[in-house]
Amino acid sequence: MSAGLAEPAAGRMALSLTVNGRSLRVEAEPRSHLGDVLREGLNLTGTHLGCEHGVCGACTVLLDGEPARACLTFAGAAAGAAVTTIEGLDDDPVATELRAAFNREHALQCGYCTPGMLVAARDLVLRLPEADERRIRIGLAGNLCRCTGYAGIVRAVMSVIAARRARGVLPDTGAARALGPVGARIGGTVAAPLPPLPGRAASVAPATAQELSGTFEPAHRFTQAIDLTHPPEAVFALLGDIEAVAACLPGAVLTGHPAPDTVEGGLQVRIGPIAATFRGRARIERDEAALSGRVRGAGSDAGGRSATQGEIRYRVGPGEAPGTAKVALEVGYSLTGPLAQFGRPGLVRDLAGRIAADFSRNLDARLSGTTPIPVSLNPLRLVLGLARARISAWLRRS
Amino acid sequence: MKPAPFAWERPASLPALLDRLAGAAGSVKLIAGGQSLGPMLNLRLVEPDLVLDITGIEELRQARIEGETLVLGACVTHADIEDGRVPDLTGGALQRVAAAIAYRPVRNRGTVGGSLVHADPAADWVSALIALGADVEVASLSGRRTLPVERFVTGALEVALEPGEILVAVRVPARPAGAAWGYVKHCAKIGEFAHAIGAVRLEPDAGRGRIVIGAVEGPPLLLADARPLFGGRIGPDFAERFDGRAADAALAAAGMTDAVERHVHVTVLARAVAQAAKPTPLSLREAA
Repeated sequence: MSAGLAEPAAGRMALSLTVNGRSLRVEAEPRSHLGDVLREGLNLTGTHLGCEHGVCGACTVLLDGEPARACLTFAGAAAGAAVTTIEGLDDDPVATELRAAFNREHALQCGYCTPGMLVAARDLVLRLPEADERRIRIGLAGNLCRCTGYAGIVRAVMSVIAARRARGVLPDTGAARALGPVGARIGGTVAAPLPPLPGRAASVAPATAQELSGTFEPAHRFTQAIDLTHPPEAVFALLGDIEAVAACLPGAVLTGHPAPDTVEGGLQVRIGPIAATFRGRARIERDEAALSGRVRGAGSDAGGRSATQGEIRYRVGPGEAPGTAKVALEVGYSLTGPLAQFGRPGLVRDLAGRIAADFSRNLDARLSGTTPIPVSLNPLRLVLGLARARISAWLRRS
Repeated sequence: MKPAPFAWERPASLPALLDRLAGAAGSVKLIAGGQSLGPMLNLRLVEPDLVLDITGIEELRQARIEGETLVLGACVTHADIEDGRVPDLTGGALQRVAAAIAYRPVRNRGTVGGSLVHADPAADWVSALIALGADVEVASLSGRRTLPVERFVTGALEVALEPGEILVAVRVPARPAGAAWGYVKHCAKIGEFAHAIGAVRLEPDAGRGRIVIGAVEGPPLLLADARPLFGGRIGPDFAERFDGRAADAALAAAGMTDAVERHVHVTVLARAVAQAAKPTPLSLREAA
């Protein structure tokens, strides 16, 4: 940050930005993204916010002349950058042609996507060598429009490209540009401390234990098998001891046992940098004759933003060797909230596979009379185990 | 959809960054273009105390050729590769992959180093760079080390970075004359994360080849010796010899139990093999 800037208010950082040609000093929280800086700080509300995770394209602006997502550019990342919003394109010749074409071709209806759409369309007009419909459609795939069906938008962009190329205006090759993310300046140290907010660490509100609804249709299902070196009856008996099961399940904590068939507790899961602790309640049913059972649970993470409901059906049967057991698990679950928005079923299955492997190892140890080592979900250890499993699986086949 | 509060710092040099990384209290995340970390911060799936912006460091924003190796700084963007602003030793292979990543506004900020460290199994570079036989260069206060991308990416969203280490560069070996390259991904919508990826780098003259099956549940599946997928021999007729059943068996052995999923991955891999066999170079600009 240049020395000429006065000290910002507590918890905020001072930035010098060039916005639509004007040099400005802006103050923002480090966590603010450029879309909020423009809209809330500078009242430039032409930049629209839709999904705020880079998918919808409504917030697309020009950073150093190139399109970028305002919602994925944090304030500090834009320090020193030149920003052009839709308001700054009033006199831009390409945008002027595009506005006329959008009008002519009915390329907008509600208008929410239009500012981002025009910024993306302008980039296509400058870069595409010719009015190729397929490439225009591909190029607009990152700007969601739910009104027009794109037909008018594509016609508008095609007509502007065709007209410009007919006038002999050549496409821009983009060759002259420094390497690295647009908007990011080399050198120029930026530093903004953590805002002194009260209760930051203490914001882990206890999630309410959800009631288990009568009917449950899981969104995702998978099966998992666990092999144990102990007889089925012993395994089934152990699975009836909920304290023992929780002790064997990595990341699980029991906090209450309000009814004989009901437990309360939490499960900590970790996928890469994501860590979530689900707290909730589970109900257990067992069929002694069939050596089978069912665990139904529901929970939410701290703050209740992500919620899950799940069901595990298990059946203990004889293993391949005498005196061993195989536990067949059928897992069904539904996940809602940010974790679901980000997560893909594959990642959850991968995680479940790793948890099941640790779980079966701990069950085996418990049945053999040794206490399982209390395990937290150590991602490195899990991943090493996973890598080993995959390598050995491959070696077995070749 | 607003991140939890964090402090933000952008060190101006690599030594300053490594010092800060080694000495910082609390949880720290490095950010380059922020196109993967940004959504996770906005969704509050990740709540670091400090975000260290590495894009101010000149060394990370360079590309050069060292002998037979292309060295890309961690902060080189997908668009830099797509537009040909960096040199190339791969016969356009990197350019084709880069041009089809997400969307142009994302490619203008998203970086090759950031994508590798994020290690989303469905992202392009983790699979493509493993197939190309690339290495990553990692730096910390105690020095530098180099390791192959397949050993760097250890799991879904997991990499082999130790505390205090950062990825500084990707080292891509030259693609030898006569080496065939195919890269195909399957997305239901353009720009979304892939549901299946097939990447093949075959040397029919030398009789060897590498195959990567990506967008699986864990790290990409690397078949460093791809001969079993071609009836035991990789020659000029590799496209006719490709054995989908062997690929299916490899996926089953790697733990992919769903037959439909295996079918999708094998089909995409077969397309990558067919692409590698095409005698004419494909259009470099498949995406806009």
